[in-house]
Amino acid sequence: MDLVARCRAGEVEAFETLYREHAARLYTLACRMAGSREDGEDLLQEIFLQAYRKLGSFKGDSSIGTWLYRLALNHCLDYVRSRRAKMNKLTETLDADASFEPTARRETPIARMDLERAVERLPEGCREAFVLHDVEGFDHKEVADLLGIAEGTSKSQVFKARMKLRGLLGRR
Amino acid sequence: MNVHPNEDALNAYAEGSLTAADAAAIEQHMASCVSCRQFVDEVREILRATADLGLQDPPARAWTRIERAIQLEQADKARADGARADGARAFQASEGEIASGHDHGPAKAGRYRLWLPWLAAAAALVLATVVGLRYAPGRSQTGAPTSQAPDGSAQVSAGDAAQSVEYELRQAEAHYENAIKGLEQIANAEQNALDPRTAATLQKNLAVIDQAISESRAAVRSQPASEPAQQSLIENFKTKIALLQDTVALINEMRKGNEAGAARIVSGLKQKGN
Repeated sequence: MDLVARCRAGEVEAFETLYREHAARLYTLACRMAGSREDGEDLLQEIFLQAYRKLGSFKGDSSIGTWLYRLALNHCLDYVRSRRAKMNKLTETLDADASFEPTARRETPIARMDLERAVERLPEGCREAFVLHDVEGFDHKEVADLLGIAEGTSKSQVFKARMKLRGLLGRR
Repeated sequence: MNVHPNEDALNAYAEGSLTAADAAAIEQHMASCVSCRQFVDEVREILRATADLGLQDPPARAWTRIERAIQLEQADKARADGARADGARAFQASEGEIASGHDHGPAKAGRYRLWLPWLAAAAALVLATVVGLRYAPGRSQTGAPTSQAPDGSAQVSAGDAAQSVEYELRQAEAHYENAIKGLEQIANAEQNALDPRTAATLQKNLAVIDQAISESRAAVRSQPASEPAQQSLIENFKTKIALLQDTVALINEMRKGNEAGAARIVSGLKQKGN
């Protein structure tokens, strides 16, 4: 019996194997989209619980990895939309945030951890567009569809994110 | 091109999305402009670093939380199936008794393993922390009471808003305290599963967090409207819950005899302690 069939049959050990194979990819996506590891961990739990409940609807048209990724992405997008609605927190309000004062220009290469932390600090709106476009590799049309924004807005948000990162990483 | 291209155009050049003609014009300008060259280099460096971003492993407790939640769901489903089966059996029995005068006896055991009661309780608590505890100071998001204008629209004055924040904080505190209490009961009851050194380290860490909680609680009481004080209290609650979740996860792995899983959690605890 293959892994998916064993998961469907309720074998927790099989589901753990599925988790071990895909958790890092989905956790990383969730952390970057949510902007915090704590929320990323909560999202990961919700994603895998949803996967467990919905495995019956997996038709096998794509790989299980692709199916899990789409499920995770949709869950992250739902979370981002609902948080934005709750907080009514616009990117513009954060533009004046003092925490985005540029640091001194630095000549050393960008360290991964510094970049991860800087991405977490990006304002909502431009962070999601940046993660989807520059990290996940979606084109602007796809980003626009996923986030429910215009293609031009996706471009400007990604541009804004890169400029913020320049400041946060001491590149200007 | 003598005039500086705008940053948008330089950004598009850096990512390679300009037409050949536009790119050539920018290259011509950059040949004699250090600042634009520098800008493009910086954007390219960010793009390069972004492309190199790796994956992050979730903390070891993440699977334990998921596993518990699944076990809880299975137990719930088994109970629901059992209740349905009981109903069906009762129906069949009554029909059978009418037909033959015999009782059909108990049904077969369900295919789902029932989890230890304390673990089910832990799962319930962990789920509660996930679902109910996304309190963020200064951001109204729970069902705090609001007043209504005659037309039915919500009217929130500054005083109401302050009351609402305090109400939400009290709610969040109560949730956290309940979750902590439950997890502490589990951790204390099962502590003999841990080796004494690990148990002592956990106790020491918990004492440090308890001290931090009591200090931030005092700060909130003296300055109820202070967002940093609220934030600090909530963060300390979260830290304590995370440590207790790690403890329960560790106990669980030890009970299962999963040394690799236990080692992962202990390693995570040591990293946090450093």
